[in-house]
Amino acid sequence: MKIIQVKNLKKPFGSNPVLRGVDLTVDKSEVVVIMGPSGSGKSTFLRCLTYLEEPNEGLIQIGPHELHTGGKLDRKRKKEIREMRKKTGFVFQSFNLFPNKTAIENVMEGPMTINGVKAAAAKELAVSLLNKVGLGDRSDHYPVQLSGGQQQRVAIARALSLNPTVMLYDEPTSALDPELVREVLQVIKELAEEGMTMVIVTHEMNFARDVADRVIFMDDGYIVEQGTPQEIFDHPKEERTKQFLMMTK
Amino acid sequence: MDAAILIDSLPSLLKATIMTLFLSCISVVIALVIGFSTALIRILKVKILNEIASMYISIIRGTPLLVQIFVIYYGLPQIGISLDPISSGIMALSLNAGAYLSESFRASILAVDRGQMEAAISMGMTYGQAMRRIILPQSLRIAIPTLSNSFIVLVKDTSLVSVITVTELLQMSSLIIAKTFEPLTIYLVAAAIYWILITFFTTMLDKLEKRSSKYLAR
Repeated sequence: MKIIQVKNLKKPFGSNPVLRGVDLTVDKSEVVVIMGPSGSGKSTFLRCLTYLEEPNEGLIQIGPHELHTGGKLDRKRKKEIREMRKKTGFVFQSFNLFPNKTAIENVMEGPMTINGVKAAAAKELAVSLLNKVGLGDRSDHYPVQLSGGQQQRVAIARALSLNPTVMLYDEPTSALDPELVREVLQVIKELAEEGMTMVIVTHEMNFARDVADRVIFMDDGYIVEQGTPQEIFDHPKEERTKQFLMMTK
Repeated sequence: MDAAILIDSLPSLLKATIMTLFLSCISVVIALVIGFSTALIRILKVKILNEIASMYISIIRGTPLLVQIFVIYYGLPQIGISLDPISSGIMALSLNAGAYLSESFRASILAVDRGQMEAAISMGMTYGQAMRRIILPQSLRIAIPTLSNSFIVLVKDTSLVSVITVTELLQMSSLIIAKTFEPLTIYLVAAAIYWILITFFTTMLDKLEKRSSKYLAR
């Protein structure tokens, strides 16, 4: 069953065509890892999926929500975008936790403000999500009192709080000290094992090998090549993919 | 110097201090409303209102407060708007401080990290929800130091409305001096009262800033 369907997505920044027409389908419970050199458009692609960047052309479908791009941003369309975002958990490279709220308040915020969930129920949900990411004992800490890895795990719990059908990760470990990367990847891996549909932009090749069902290699605004981790890492077909893998070894 | 003169004038001076406090407090409340709403108008780029707000801020910041007071008190009656001295004073002080507060609010909203808005809307919040729940609370904390600075300036600026016969602290001092011929003593007492007031407010606002920043402490 297809959960994400993207057709011919295009996005320029000024005269620079960052995305030149990207197609992607993601099945339910599939884990897709997107790799590529910086400037290849992989982060922009992910941000377009949840309309943090507005694509100029193409079609995006996530679950039952379908959005043709390029239309005027009127009330109805803004509402459609919000509905889609609710079902799409987004995890940022720089965590973007709300610094004036404790870990548990960060996780409670979405359900309470967006879905009107009562504080008691939101708290119960937040406790279970923080336990899930291994931070049940840190719920009253402010972000500044947490390590980067812990902050990112709170951010994952926050993204899960609206019960999304898809999780998107934009380089979730790139801002972390090396010794903190593993705890975050572990949480993502556990979600994969539970059957969460996920698209992850990352440079962590071992993680991709371990967790991804499919690896996509992007360069210059296109998908150059995609396949299983073995196909991409061990037997890449395209010259650009080979070059990239050589450089990163 | 005659201690008796001082003791005799103290009740009048304290009464005038209450007027100074009254002017400061009423004006700061109105100025906060003006400043906050014009800042939002400018951030949201509301059509027409945005241009009016920018013009207002430019005019206020580009002219002396004393001139603004004269325009309101002596000028407006010519077009049929006659305000008593106290109302004129409050109007001038709040319009003046409002322009400065507007700039503080605007800067502090823009100072909140862009990722905060992204995080909020990526969850499905509306722009308004994200502003109310996430951006504004953080920007208020950022704004506190400049807001308290503007407030202190406002307290001192109340002395300017003495020129339109509002009997606040400075005007009362001059009245007492006219009778007692003790300018040094009386003006020093007035200065001391301003200093005590402002030190009190500064301490309170520092405390508020510390409390609102507690989430930044490790």
